[in-house]
Amino acid sequence: MLNTRGLALEVRLSAYLDGELGDQERKELDDLLTRSDEARHILDTLKSGSAFGNTAFDDFLKDPVPLNVVRRIKQGSASVSPATERVVEARTSAARTKIWPRALAASLALLLVGGTAGYIIGSKQVIDIAPAQTATAVSRGWLDEIADYHRIYASQRDHMVELDSDEKPQIESWLNASVGVPFRIPDLANRGLAFQGARLLVVQGKPVAQLMYRDQEGDVIGFCFLRNTENTTVTDPKEDIRDDLALISWKKPGASFVIVGPSSDASLQTIAADIAQDI
Amino acid sequence: MRSAVEQNDFRRDLVSLLPKLRRFALSLTRNAADADDLVQEACERALTRHHLWNGEGRLESWVYALTRNLWVDEVRKRKVRTGAGLVDAGEHDELVVDASGEKAVFASQVQAMILSMPEGLASVFVLVNVEGHSYREAADILGIPIGTVMSRLSAARIRLAAMMNRTSERRA
Repeated sequence: MLNTRGLALEVRLSAYLDGELGDQERKELDDLLTRSDEARHILDTLKSGSAFGNTAFDDFLKDPVPLNVVRRIKQGSASVSPATERVVEARTSAARTKIWPRALAASLALLLVGGTAGYIIGSKQVIDIAPAQTATAVSRGWLDEIADYHRIYASQRDHMVELDSDEKPQIESWLNASVGVPFRIPDLANRGLAFQGARLLVVQGKPVAQLMYRDQEGDVIGFCFLRNTENTTVTDPKEDIRDDLALISWKKPGASFVIVGPSSDASLQTIAADIAQDI
Repeated sequence: MRSAVEQNDFRRDLVSLLPKLRRFALSLTRNAADADDLVQEACERALTRHHLWNGEGRLESWVYALTRNLWVDEVRKRKVRTGAGLVDAGEHDELVVDASGEKAVFASQVQAMILSMPEGLASVFVLVNVEGHSYREAADILGIPIGTVMSRLSAARIRLAAMMNRTSERRA
């Protein structure tokens, strides 16, 4: 315990307020406070300053944390210097705005070349090219739509899902039949996630299963998948960020999967890895 | 060598700590841009050195101390570059008031007001009054004597009380 004798009264009373003083000194100040208006006034001032500061500093916790920091921690890429990374990100961002017209032009050119070539070679090849182009468009856009759906449904208190968690057998048979991807509802209780239920989404004309979980902090984590007959390979989970949401997506022959949740949730990668192993 | 699970747990804990770490960084830098840079650098450092974290005590104390050390280094570098610049309060007996115009950065005038407190007061206040660290822990994190923690804490409380009174008068 501290000895504050000889220090300014406000310093002693401040330590008294924090319970940092020994019994004897605390009693000494108790006595002083019963006798001295000035001491009581100082103590009241210290208390009101504490309360005001607590409220003000608590408000800082509501400020958003830098997304790039969250992302880097989750991905564990600690080798990049912050200054370099910021520059790289700024360039990437600037470049992205300039590149898309070129990309669009290139896509149109490819489409034209492909279509023309297909026309020249024969109608069968034209049909072969079209699904590949469609698949590319779907794989680029479906994560954005999943993020949009998640933002809407995760905030629904009473209507987050179509079928509740107590209807697991119905959910499995319904979504198996509707989506065309055989699955069992993953049990993520060991990850602190409680299954809430499921709903069927439509993303770019395709049925998508959406299973919803809630973690111990109340955040909602979604697990979505759709049939993707064009895909014949297995890919490792990779992370995409859409503002406040992180999407960990991967593919298996015939299907695409994604875990979606708050970008600040560092466990999403592990959850995705667990599911990818089991499903 | 730590297992992948331990590494993941560490990352998760670090992400959970970010709001509080940013607040602590703000209390050191009193400037949002510097605080964000400092948080980023502190997290990089924590990730590369997390094998040094022994898992005992509070993770935040270890990360805070690391953050504070980085800020002291940064202040020193700026001092060398500019010949003066910012000075870490831990190295000076006299406190310096930063009159930078950070108010525009913050939506809340109160936040701007408390960040305009003399250097060294906000960080002690955050550690002890807001987050409940003991005087000893705060002294260790900030690398200052306990006596300095005590005097800065009482000074911070009195200043905050005065700010509260001014805020109340403006509203009246």
